[in-house]
Order: sequence, then C-alpha cells, then structure tokens
Amino acid sequence: MAKKMTIALYTGSFDKLTATGVIINGAVADDMDVEIYVLMMGANAFKKENIGKMENMAELADKKDEFIASLERLKIPTWMDFFKQAKEAGNVKIRICGLAGKIWNGTELEHFNGLPEDICGIGEYIASTQTADVNLFI
Amino acid sequence: MTTEELKNLQIDKVVDARGTACPGPLMATKKALGEMKSGELVEVLSSDGGTKRDVPMWAERKGFQYLGDVLEDGYFRLYIRK
Repeated sequence: MAKKMTIALYTGSFDKLTATGVIINGAVADDMDVEIYVLMMGANAFKKENIGKMENMAELADKKDEFIASLERLKIPTWMDFFKQAKEAGNVKIRICGLAGKIWNGTELEHFNGLPEDICGIGEYIASTQTADVNLFI
Repeated sequence: MTTEELKNLQIDKVVDARGTACPGPLMATKKALGEMKSGELVEVLSSDGGTKRDVPMWAERKGFQYLGDVLEDGYFRLYIRK
C-alpha cells in the first residue's frame, strides 16, 4: 500500500503555498498519496477570485519583492501550477474545511479555484491522520 | 563508473530538464522512467544543484540503479537504469 502524507494547510501566504507545492511534488515522486485539508487562511487563497494573487506574504513582508523577482527570474511555477502538476502526476486530494470555506463565503466547490475536490469537516482530517505516515501543519 | 564509462553507455532516453528548478528534474525523471522498460537507461540533464543528491536518493528508494553523474559546463548528466 502506498504511504500517505496528510497536510493541514492553514496558511494563505503564497510563499508557504509555494513551499507546499514543492513538498507535495516530492511526495508524489515518491509514490505517496497526499491529502490536503485546507483550513482558515488557506481557504481564502483557494478562492476563485484570488487566482494569481501574490499579495499575501504573512512573514518577512520586506522580502516579498525580492522573492517574487527571483521566482520570475528562475521561472519557478506558481503555487497553483505546482499543485496542478502534483495532481496530474499522482494521487493528491484537496479538501476545503467547511468552516474555513464559510468564513470566506465559499460554501460550494464552484467558489474555489478548481483544485479542491471536496468540502469536508475536521473529523475527516483527524480520521485520515490516523493512517498517515507523515502529517504536516503548514 | 568512470566518466569515460558513463559517456560510453547505450542511452535509451534523454530527459533535458535544464532550466527547471527543483522539483522539476525529479518529476521529469520519474515521468520518463514510468514510460520505460526494465533495464533501459535514461540520461537526465539538469542545471539544478540539488538534483545530484536528490535523484540518486530517490532512485535508490524506488529500486532503480543510479550509475553516476558527469559534470558538464553549467549542468550535470545523470544516468539511471530502470
């Protein structure tokens, strides 16, 4: 049976979302199943109207311009492209926490950016972590 | 294997991942090997410094044979047998 990584994705900060994108691609390369549970600020970043926005960098805001310039110079994919790439290459499931969705007026899947396939409750995340080999909070 | 031996290997597929950053070369390597037959050899070109450590460790875990790497001008050639 494939090993499994679960991620509680709290952040809506695009630098951490980019790091998450790199991690899940690495996990998929290792044939791990990945389940991402999008909480709180994360659900905001996954809203449809926020596609392509790189304004939210919660930490080290003074490094933001340099970071964005480097991403462009090095032709690093956007965090959404990293997530798409991981989904195409392996078994990656993305679920929005129902409560977090409500906070940002995202009550239906169509309110989001196309990456999530479900809206779920916290019980599902907790249950899934019981059989996870790796569990991250980002 | 020596550089000379590596350069003389019979290559079945070349993956040019130069210009992509981590995890690009690793993902390209995985995709290529997934389409290849057991025993076939892939040559991966990468300009990403992490690849030289990343791909051998990954290959070992996945049961592929890592044969070595050759440093070129600004990039590496890595050889992996499925």
